[in-house]
Amino acid sequence: RLTQVRWSRYNAQYLEPEVNRELLQKSWDELSEEEKAEQELKAVRPIKAAPSNVTSSVFSDPMISKFTNMMMRDGNKVLARSLMAQTLEAIKRKQLEKYHQAPEHEKDKIECNPYVIFHEALKNCQPVIGLCSITRGGKTYQVPVPLTDNRKRFLAMKWLITECRENKHRRTLMPEKLSQELLQAFHNEGAIIKKKHVLHKMAESNRAYAHFRWW
Amino acid sequence: MDGLYSSWRQKKRPPLLRPTRPLVLANKVANRREQPGEATCITEMSVMMACWKQNDFNSSACAEEIRMFHDCVAKAEKERREQAEKAEEDTWGLRENLTSSKANKLLRRFPNITRYV
Repeated sequence: RLTQVRWSRYNAQYLEPEVNRELLQKSWDELSEEEKAEQELKAVRPIKAAPSNVTSSVFSDPMISKFTNMMMRDGNKVLARSLMAQTLEAIKRKQLEKYHQAPEHEKDKIECNPYVIFHEALKNCQPVIGLCSITRGGKTYQVPVPLTDNRKRFLAMKWLITECRENKHRRTLMPEKLSQELLQAFHNEGAIIKKKHVLHKMAESNRAYAHFRWW
Repeated sequence: MDGLYSSWRQKKRPPLLRPTRPLVLANKVANRREQPGEATCITEMSVMMACWKQNDFNSSACAEEIRMFHDCVAKAEKERREQAEKAEEDTWGLRENLTSSKANKLLRRFPNITRYV
């Protein structure tokens, strides 16, 4: 018989905790119908404990947390988080250097906020369409298939991390390489954007097999 | 079942059926694909790919087509989910045919008892 090894110890009644500050600061009249119904449900149901990586502070960002978790190895969250902080600092430093060296009319165009750069770079790295192996009559074909948002984000982050781990010089550190890749992705150049284009080209060349999909 | 073996002497012909296993109803039904289904959003995808071919895979140049493709995909996903939900609620209202998964669940609850202890 099969038993589950990893499952949630909360039963189905438990609800997720609300971390969004803006929602908590709204008064009762400003809420919409569904939000009012949700609040009334929360008065009767038990609520799960908030995990330690979820905060309602201004500095917490779910994408950055997800990226740090993906960078983490052997559960060393301290190291992953410090690497992430150093990466953001490196990005800021580079952008500030460019800012101070640029002439007056170009100073507006340089983006200095590392969070904005991170989000924009990730968005540029996400593929639009993916490939799925489908077997028909003994042969496996690569069929172009639309991807969900989660899958796109995951692929972008995965490509970024593998690129930075494998294609770097022995002496360069991870934050340095990551900041370089993020800035390149922000400007739509670099190895990860090329990888995305290669995937799109494959999908485009296999577009005849698109009818093999049944969903 | 007795008709296979009982009157062999009189009929002088071997029995028509020689079952390898005992003729007992199993507690599961074979998987049946309900409808083959069609691939959705192919026109949008081909439009987007044509745009890509012209503009050398530049995402910013084809933003409109990509947006339309995403919209089509989201709509198709929503429709599929609604259809699945509708199929879910209807089944215990005794439609003409059950899906194989529903039939299996019912049979697991009320199985055919073959052994007596």
